[in-house]
Amino acid sequence: MNRLVRSVRDGTGFDILLIGAALLFLIAFAGVPLVYNVLMSFQQVDMFNLGTFFRPLVGLSNYAAVVAQPEFWLVARNTLLFVVGSIGGQFVLGFGLALFFARDFPGAATIRGLFLVSWVMPGLVVGAIWGWILAGDFGVLNYMLRQLGIIEANIFWKSDPSFALWAVIIANIWLGLAFNMLLLSVGLHGIPRELYEAARVDGANAWQRFWHITLPVMRSTIGAVLSLGLIATLQQFDLFPAITEGGPANSSMVSQYWAWQASFKLYDFAKGATISVMMLVLVLLASVVYVRSTRHEVRG
Amino acid sequence: MSTRDWKEWGLLAIALALAAVYLFPLYWMYVTSLKNSTEIFANPPTFWPQAPVVDAFPMVWETRTMATYLSNSVIIAAGVTAITVILGSGCAYVLARYRNIWIDVGLFVVLMLQVLPASVMVTPLFVAFSQLGLLSFPRTAVVLAAAAKAMPFFVVLVRATFMTVPRELEEAAMVDGASRAGAFFRIVLPLARNGILVCAILTFMTAFGEYIYSKSIIQTPALQPASVGLSTFVGPNSRDWSGIMAYAAIYVTPILAIFVLLQRRIVSGLTSGALK
Repeated sequence: MNRLVRSVRDGTGFDILLIGAALLFLIAFAGVPLVYNVLMSFQQVDMFNLGTFFRPLVGLSNYAAVVAQPEFWLVARNTLLFVVGSIGGQFVLGFGLALFFARDFPGAATIRGLFLVSWVMPGLVVGAIWGWILAGDFGVLNYMLRQLGIIEANIFWKSDPSFALWAVIIANIWLGLAFNMLLLSVGLHGIPRELYEAARVDGANAWQRFWHITLPVMRSTIGAVLSLGLIATLQQFDLFPAITEGGPANSSMVSQYWAWQASFKLYDFAKGATISVMMLVLVLLASVVYVRSTRHEVRG
Repeated sequence: MSTRDWKEWGLLAIALALAAVYLFPLYWMYVTSLKNSTEIFANPPTFWPQAPVVDAFPMVWETRTMATYLSNSVIIAAGVTAITVILGSGCAYVLARYRNIWIDVGLFVVLMLQVLPASVMVTPLFVAFSQLGLLSFPRTAVVLAAAAKAMPFFVVLVRATFMTVPRELEEAAMVDGASRAGAFFRIVLPLARNGILVCAILTFMTAFGEYIYSKSIIQTPALQPASVGLSTFVGPNSRDWSGIMAYAAIYVTPILAIFVLLQRRIVSGLTSGALK
């Protein structure tokens, strides 16, 4: 007993206690629920057996039921579009801004830092603001687009099935843009200046320098940014209840909101668990890319 | 002025214009909250309130019981931050201090937990909490769930801070007779204090806006945080834009103030940990 106390105060016991407490907590409130989620997706869960862990196993029938839902392929398509559209927009605009702010001028770092304000805003507030900007009749975006001559009639962003998903994508691009820019700026900062000077001496133009130096050197950063973008996009939830609630007629429904609705609007927990397990496969794929590309940096 | 100066000023002007475009949604929130009910729906919209009024603020504060909602947000965010900082700092320290296969495994676990979406975790957490009877203490349940969500990111960031604390200082203290625990609490922690503080503030701000766990787990309005309070009148069919924008402005202004004050530290804390 005395040895144990001594070890905790002044030996490996101390380290094990520090890391053990955190890992136990994480296992209890993240690891176990994760496994439980997979288990539930193979069980029959209803109001009568909600209180017990031992429910009838039903094999793959939950999965079959989810795939057989009429909106399944629509949701899958929307999720893909949401992910590709959000990441594409965030990455291209974020990279452009990162390149711009990598130039040397007074206040560059401070102004760049202002962009990060979107990162600390509650998602629901961001959704509420964009819901107002994108409003059909009185929205300021429609007004600006009309003035610029891009559109003639108002776009009903939130109630037109062909635009509803794009309304959420626009808000999500705004939300994720700053983080993309920040991480890409860090990557750009790490490129030795001599590389560019050598290329300039050899007569490479700006485009060639970007294509043959910036992109190859940034490869692992870009991998990390894209996989983090995929992870963050699949984590994005708050914008949906605030802007479209997945409607109209599921035209902006994505997997994360669909899973939540199954559990907390229809109280069909098995279905919610099943959808989220399917989604998880996608997240895990992204995280393998992410862990691989940050491996050497994080280990430092 | 030389051409170089002109070029720099030109770039600065473009940078300010880009920031203005990017921050327009925030501006629009404040401007809308100051407009009266007819001006909000004016066509063409006014970009500066013609007759600014602050009526929406006391109104939304009273009718939406914002005092209750905001105090719940503070309670939840404080709980999440406390658990995350106390457990996460020790974990980050050990992960920064050693290099072996177990540390790699631990790091891998933390990185993988960081990617789990809350929308995936909320179903099993809700069912498990209801089985354990934790739903009778809904705010506690939300704090536990949200702390598990916040901790991995905190650990990754704070680990980077601990890596910058020279190991020699700790060893010197131990040569002078300090125990492992003593060296950690009296030497390492004070040196990493600033980094931990910034990450704690980030954790607090994120938890202050937490929505999905609170919405799913807390049914009693008197215990719900401000995000859930906002969700009761925001959605595809919202009408009360003046009230929504005033609510949003009250909700985020403290966060924005802290961000502006600590902007430099927050940005450097994020860049040092997130990727590099």
